[in-house]
Amino acid sequence: MNQILVIAWREVTRLRKRFGGASPLVVLLLLAVFGWSAYYLRDTVMLGSGLYRVGVSGDVPPIRDSRFAVVALKAEVGQALLDQHVIDLWIDGPQVISRADDKSQFAVRALKQYMEQEELIRIGNSYSEADAFPLRLGINYLGAGQAAGNPLPAKPEQVIIPSLTPPPGPFAQVLIALIYVLPITFISIFFTSSFMDEKINRRLTILLSTPITPFQIILGKMLPYAGFALFGITLIALITKANLPLTLAIFAPTTLFVFAIYLMVPLFYRTFKDITFIAMLVTTLTTAYLIIPAMFTNVNDFSYISPLTLAVKMYKGELFGWREYLFPSLPMAAIFGLAIFAGTRMLNEEFLVGYKPLTRKLSDAVYLMLAHSRPAISIPLWSFLVVPIVYMAQIVFLAFATNLPAGLILGFTLFASALFEEIVKAIGILVLAEHGVVNSARSIIGLSFLSAFGFLVAEKLLVFLSISIVSAAPVAGVFLGEGLLLFIPLIAHFAFTTITTWLRIKLKFPYLLALGIGTLVHFIYNSYVLRGGF
Amino acid sequence: MIPFLAVVKKELTSVLRDRTIVIAILMQLFIASFSSGLLLGMLALYDSDTIMRFSGAEIRIGVVDSSDNILGSLMSKRGLQTLRYATLSNAQAAFYRGEVLAIIDTPQAANGLTEIKLYLPESDTTSSLIRLVIQEPLKQYENILRAQKGIEVRYANLQGKPATPFEFVYSVLIPLLMFFPAFVAGSMTADSITEEAENNTLHTLLSAPLTVSGLVGAKIVSSVILAILQCIVWLTLLQWNGVAIQNTGWILLLAMIVAGATSTSAALSAVLLKDRERSQFIYSLMLLAAAATSTLLNLSPITTLSRLAIGDSYTNGWNVIIFAVFLAGLYLVLSKTSRRLLI
Repeated sequence: MNQILVIAWREVTRLRKRFGGASPLVVLLLLAVFGWSAYYLRDTVMLGSGLYRVGVSGDVPPIRDSRFAVVALKAEVGQALLDQHVIDLWIDGPQVISRADDKSQFAVRALKQYMEQEELIRIGNSYSEADAFPLRLGINYLGAGQAAGNPLPAKPEQVIIPSLTPPPGPFAQVLIALIYVLPITFISIFFTSSFMDEKINRRLTILLSTPITPFQIILGKMLPYAGFALFGITLIALITKANLPLTLAIFAPTTLFVFAIYLMVPLFYRTFKDITFIAMLVTTLTTAYLIIPAMFTNVNDFSYISPLTLAVKMYKGELFGWREYLFPSLPMAAIFGLAIFAGTRMLNEEFLVGYKPLTRKLSDAVYLMLAHSRPAISIPLWSFLVVPIVYMAQIVFLAFATNLPAGLILGFTLFASALFEEIVKAIGILVLAEHGVVNSARSIIGLSFLSAFGFLVAEKLLVFLSISIVSAAPVAGVFLGEGLLLFIPLIAHFAFTTITTWLRIKLKFPYLLALGIGTLVHFIYNSYVLRGGF
Repeated sequence: MIPFLAVVKKELTSVLRDRTIVIAILMQLFIASFSSGLLLGMLALYDSDTIMRFSGAEIRIGVVDSSDNILGSLMSKRGLQTLRYATLSNAQAAFYRGEVLAIIDTPQAANGLTEIKLYLPESDTTSSLIRLVIQEPLKQYENILRAQKGIEVRYANLQGKPATPFEFVYSVLIPLLMFFPAFVAGSMTADSITEEAENNTLHTLLSAPLTVSGLVGAKIVSSVILAILQCIVWLTLLQWNGVAIQNTGWILLLAMIVAGATSTSAALSAVLLKDRERSQFIYSLMLLAAAATSTLLNLSPITTLSRLAIGDSYTNGWNVIIFAVFLAGLYLVLSKTSRRLLI
């Protein structure tokens, strides 16, 4: 523990040295410019900024909306300019004149939204509240309890003024929840830089030659940054008046997860540009993983994959239970554990410094992780532990697929998922074979079985967790129910993995071809199951 | 000139050899497809016009009968199915039988106000959907009540078409695809310069007949070339997808100028700070500050780009030239300071 603290303190000193001198001033100046402009722009509509040209003649209230560029014109030329498409809309006093084409009609809708707001402000200022807003809507909820004769309403009545209370917007709370991810990501970039720095100056080599373990180095370096990230989270929670302990409980696993992913960046990079690209990829994927499910809050229970959903619920004042909390948090903690383990195995001079293609580096990394114990233990454990990553990758595939033509969405997602599953299940056996650890037909088949087994157990565990959230009833069925339902997937996974490993190791097929054949069989099986087979 | 081109070539081949630029390209594709596919799809779920078009006929609302049934008829006019019931308890019974999704009670006058009670199901999704679709009739009803008190609301009868997808494509998607490569180009320039500085390879490189400014310039040029190539691909893909884009020449020039400006700023921070950590950090902050300030000054390249793409009659090459002047100024500052890299 003491060693970890020493390294943590060394890290703080490094930061102080690096960002001492004039740079804090520059940082403050740039932040001030940004903050000041953001403050002035806070009410500006950003979507559609500058898109519409509006011609104005006669007595028209001023239009202050970034979507409109207003041109004052004489009433005689209004129609002509409108017809020549020089303007999209002509407001002549109380009259709005538009063309029938799309762009003009879009402008009308945008103007409608703006004018509605402006008129409400004008009326609100010119008349008494009762005259300006004469309608009250009392919203009541009818629950199942009242049907059974219980007179108590599910929620107390909420009285609103319809024009002043817009219906619940789509992503407002998701956006608030997303603000938390910003400091975590920003700070983890410094964490990455710290490793990079040590790597360039070869100080890491010296550090590794001391009795300090790689585990202590990683944790020690992570500690101050994790501290900063938690401080950032606390600050946002206090500003947005959220429940602090709950916020910390929600975002602590997320922080660990993001740091775990960023730990991989300095381990894998070869040139500086690699860092930029890998870091960008990591940022995009983690952000997508966190946001996409949260957008389905209260729409689909799949939203619980992301901890942001819990934050959205917290901001809405809704309750959630332990299972809902553990569902996103456990996979994140598991990935953190896996990344730390991977980090401790990869933190050696030879791995860090060599310039190799990225795919080569990846397979070296897998070898380093697996080689420390017997294949019969490490292979199923590997397949078991990577399932949360597979799960996340599949969400990303789904997001990609939504942009394809409707007929291709399912096919693409199924194929990409099958491909990714086959890569992770076979890769361990293949790298062990490459290093001569696995060779015999017996070991290939045995390890393929163990890999399929580890994968299936983790997959079912995840399904168990998700089903227990959706409905508590048929949980046992997942494990025990129709025994065949568990047996067939096991055999199937085993078969796909064996195809890939056998073709590659014994028949010396090129890796991509072997993987392609395994994936194709897997894809056909999945399509058959989805069509109602078995 | 030849050493300059040699550095450009070296930069480009190293990027192609590392292959990690593929990550950046895939990511842009991901961001674009994710935002346009999923986000717009989701937004449509929250857009009352879209809801009405696809499932308006299935939304049945119970109205408790009264002589004054203006709101009921406004809702019918909007396309909602309204079923009339004599009393609230009848309507509630119909609700529990699943005949209607929500109930609107008779308006009551109280203290000069009109009060209406709305009964919604507990389900969050259904109740927010109903609140979305009845918002427009409620606003119209409120305007009628205002008119009864002698208050006129101007511009109340505008309709138009839902503009979100259009606004998204021209003000978010196209600028994103044109300027993201510029952002990447800046990062690459900073990486490339600080890598030479941190690995102490700078002096070796300068033993070739090349000045520091020439070296930095070559690195900027190679990043800009990569950015423009990406922009050309995105523009082609967008047009293949049926997005009408005007002024493509000016758009590419603007994208090139912005990529030049981001790369020059990144180079400036790399030349002054000489390490990747700080220069990337300052570069990101500079971008944020520049984006905010340009919007504030109403001179945003994003707006210019949107207007060029849309074919706005008041926007032309001159609007692009302004940014070129800015780039020239920035480059002048860089060329005056680039010798600091050797100190």
